[in-house]
Amino acid sequence: MKIHPRYYPAIIITAYVIFLLIGILLGFGPERGGDGHGRSALMQLILTLETLA
Amino acid sequence: MNAATPEKPFSLAKCRRTIQWMVVIGTLVIGLRHIMPGEASRGGSFDSFCAFGGIETILPYLFSGHMLKSTNLLNFSVLLGTLGVSLAAGRAFCGWLCGLGAIQDFVTGWTRKLFGEKQHIRGRQSTAILPLRLPAIVDRPLRYAKYLALLVILMASLYMAFPPLRDFCPVRAVFGLHMTALLWITLAVFLAGSVLVERFWCKYLCPLGATLAIFNKVSPVHLVMDNHHCNNCGRCDIECSMDIADVPHHLDHPECVRCMECLNSCARDGSLILKI
Repeated sequence: MKIHPRYYPAIIITAYVIFLLIGILLGFGPERGGDGHGRSALMQLILTLETLA
Repeated sequence: MNAATPEKPFSLAKCRRTIQWMVVIGTLVIGLRHIMPGEASRGGSFDSFCAFGGIETILPYLFSGHMLKSTNLLNFSVLLGTLGVSLAAGRAFCGWLCGLGAIQDFVTGWTRKLFGEKQHIRGRQSTAILPLRLPAIVDRPLRYAKYLALLVILMASLYMAFPPLRDFCPVRAVFGLHMTALLWITLAVFLAGSVLVERFWCKYLCPLGATLAIFNKVSPVHLVMDNHHCNNCGRCDIECSMDIADVPHHLDHPECVRCMECLNSCARDGSLILKI
């Protein structure tokens, strides 16, 4: 489908904002205090799979 | 009776330039906020707003659960935003939303004016002596340096406390406002490179660009050429900031930053079509 070039900047900015918000909603938000520390994402995945099993 | 005001023609180039200025000013504001006291209370360091910081810290996060110092979970969201743009429109982040890309475009414009071109006419070969176009024999192998840099950085991230690129990061050098001797050298090299070669950093060294390159092959929003309209005049080749040869036949080239200058410079309507 043909798109008018005037919509191109809107597509880019919308995609950026939507995915940024998805990241923040998934919990990847700014942390007070600087450096991030948490449980390994792989470890979390393994624990979740274990729970499901 | 009032005559209807004619609609102002839409300029993609002006729109891109406006967005680039907004990105540059926004990044400078973030940099300014982080040289003021109380940096820790502002959602982490300056580095935590960087998409590439997310790539640098992803392996340590996956394997040990700890992020590299000066990075933050926010890096992953910024990276996700960047990947979102790339999934939709290829390397459009590089051409439209990257602060370093914007600075390089501005430097190129100023360099052209400084070195002999009074006014740049779209699609016409620049009369300025700088920036240069490196000969293909030098240019082609140098393009692979960014992929090597990405590989080295990913490997090094597993063994380092801070992001490997941090001490040489041009984003920190240009926008960080918290300078060290190494960052001054980085800034000098970055600016000198940008004066000598258009989009020097993007072409040869940017590891984020190396990461996003693959998306040009799969993104749904892309340009296509209409063989019936295009007369191979070469205006798009002249305007291409990434010096891609024969642009109409390489519209999904991994080096393309989707700046749409080819579309802007195209003399025949309908030769290049934006499609989804």
